[in-house]
Amino acid sequence: MSRKFQSAIAASVLSLVASVGAADAATTVKFWHSFNKTNGAAIDKIIANFEAANPDIDIEAEFIGNYNDIIAKLQAAIPARRAPDAVILEVTRYGLFANNGILTDLTPYFDADPLKDDLYDYAKEVGVIDGKNYIVPFNSSTPVLYFNKDIFTRAGLSEDTPLVTFDEILSAAKTINGKLGAEGISGIAAPGQFARWGLVMANDSELVDPMSGEILLDKPNTIEAYQWMASLVHAEKVASPDGVTDEDAGRDAFLAGKVGIQMNSTGGYGSTKKALGDNLAVRPMPCNKACSVPIGGAGIGIMASSPKDVQDAAYKFVSYASSPEANAIWFAATGYLPINKKSADLPVAKEALATKPGIDVAIESLPNAHGRARTTVVTWMRTTEYKMWQAMALGQRDAAETLKDFAEQTRSEETRLSN
Amino acid sequence: MLRKLTPYFFVAPLMISIAVFTYIPILSSLNLSVREWNFLSPDMPFVGLRNYEQLLASHDFWNSLWVTTVFAVLSVPLRLGLALVIASYLTRETLHSRLLRGALFLPSVTSAVSIAVVFSWIFSTDYGMVNALFAAVGIGKVHWLQDPFLALWVLIFVNTWKQLGYDIVIYIAGLQAIPGELYDAASVDGGRRLHVFRRVTLPLVMPTTYFLLVISVIEAFQVFTIVNVMTRGGPAGATDMLVNQLYEIGFVLFDIGRGSALAVILFVLLVALAILKSRIIGRKVHYEA
Repeated sequence: MSRKFQSAIAASVLSLVASVGAADAATTVKFWHSFNKTNGAAIDKIIANFEAANPDIDIEAEFIGNYNDIIAKLQAAIPARRAPDAVILEVTRYGLFANNGILTDLTPYFDADPLKDDLYDYAKEVGVIDGKNYIVPFNSSTPVLYFNKDIFTRAGLSEDTPLVTFDEILSAAKTINGKLGAEGISGIAAPGQFARWGLVMANDSELVDPMSGEILLDKPNTIEAYQWMASLVHAEKVASPDGVTDEDAGRDAFLAGKVGIQMNSTGGYGSTKKALGDNLAVRPMPCNKACSVPIGGAGIGIMASSPKDVQDAAYKFVSYASSPEANAIWFAATGYLPINKKSADLPVAKEALATKPGIDVAIESLPNAHGRARTTVVTWMRTTEYKMWQAMALGQRDAAETLKDFAEQTRSEETRLSN
Repeated sequence: MLRKLTPYFFVAPLMISIAVFTYIPILSSLNLSVREWNFLSPDMPFVGLRNYEQLLASHDFWNSLWVTTVFAVLSVPLRLGLALVIASYLTRETLHSRLLRGALFLPSVTSAVSIAVVFSWIFSTDYGMVNALFAAVGIGKVHWLQDPFLALWVLIFVNTWKQLGYDIVIYIAGLQAIPGELYDAASVDGGRRLHVFRRVTLPLVMPTTYFLLVISVIEAFQVFTIVNVMTRGGPAGATDMLVNQLYEIGFVLFDIGRGSALAVILFVLLVALAILKSRIIGRKVHYEA
């Protein structure tokens, strides 16, 4: 064996031993999240910055899928003892995990963390159930109204066209359909569930009262909002039915420049801007009878089953992810709301506010943003709402009759769950 | 002693794998179906038949049972009829026939998710290929996946397209096993082509038909992937098959007890159907020429 070869082997063994030693020293935090593409790149950057500042902690991040996928996989992973240490959980659906003792009560961590004073009130509120903090907000959002300026111009609509009331939005959508329908362009995308919730709130109502938990699905204003939404597809035919059975189809068509108006999460700003460039315009959600928008998004929870040192390391990351530095990067790249009051003062956020028109619309909506109910029946209600919406939007059932039936079913499901 | 045990050693690996992957899950489902559990709670309280009662009282269960039955009743005869006709033309061992067999079999080994995604686009209302072809000949937009009646037919079409190749291959094997002398005799007796098919081919291919009937009915009652990807049971429950309903109860609503109860009901239903088929059709099946 040559001397050179022997030295190479010795060096390899040494480096292997050194790397094993280094790996042993680091605490590994398995982290499941729901961000890919533009948002995925932003979270990777935040993780890289955290790891650089905390070489003793290794964040093993994994993109799992959307919020529903994460919940389904987490449910299966817990009994199989393959759950992560930290996980992104949607703000209306973490109650199930908190109530079953799966999530660590973060109150002691949070109370001792100076971060708490820097977070906006709305952001602090979304992580609390019965006075205990179970998730720390990371990506908060509200729905906003996006429109394609190029389509508006081609349809003869001004960029200043009022889009505040339901009638004004319908009128603009009809104009687009009338002028550009022959080119395969629709006026508006059928609203997704987050936007539907926002439109009900814009009509001065709610699906479930966030304070009392009362089911409000059959209230006149809720019914009126759904009647209007359904009319966009069925009666007025300004929205494609493709977006009713597959919400992503509506979003994709808007990104492809085939739809004039879309209401969606502010968290989609980054990818929408990337797709439409300067043709993108952003407005607040309509104020038909009230100016009120739901707060969506998710926070990071820590599993109660993880060892204490891993929980501590996970909280360090959670706290960093909500810090001004990380939050400014996140806001600038994605359009999700700033959750930290100090984020907007950082250069990266200032630059985004100066160079990305419309990114500030959701921030301006904050005074009207409200947390949503997160009682156990909400998961069932949100799952069943898709079927009810399809029946109304595709003209199979009358909206009033459907929502009265839906409200009854939700009440009896709530009774069943509480027994 | 060792001599007596040897056969058991040979069958042990198979028996163990069947026990682990089939019988234990069945028994586990049976146990879970009388309990309340959401994957998370440490306790699984015994609730008797409450999960079954709630299922049988729910509109969604009866809707999915009805939709699945309609799907099976429409898709199985279509699949088998088409497969037999095509197989009759592909029985001869020519290059052309072999190439066609391969082409027709390809969807059977293609991922169901990929097939469902591609067909979702093909049948898209605004940007789908089918509607684009229709538009070219002056036909307006058809809401393939939004119309409750059409959405079910689209699923039947996609499922048939995927499964047809397998049925054809099995039928070809069955047809090739029919002795050629019988066709010669029928020909000498002056039997016409259709007459020979009805009097010779159909009865003698009956064991294959019976096998495919059993398999395809089970498959039809267990169809999930194309439903979940293409329609998610919509529009408004019009394509909500039993297994999709089971998935929704178990893995979206996390009601493992009710989900397991539905799995048990499906199991009993399939066993009952198999017995029924064996009583009605099984007796008419002749395994010898």
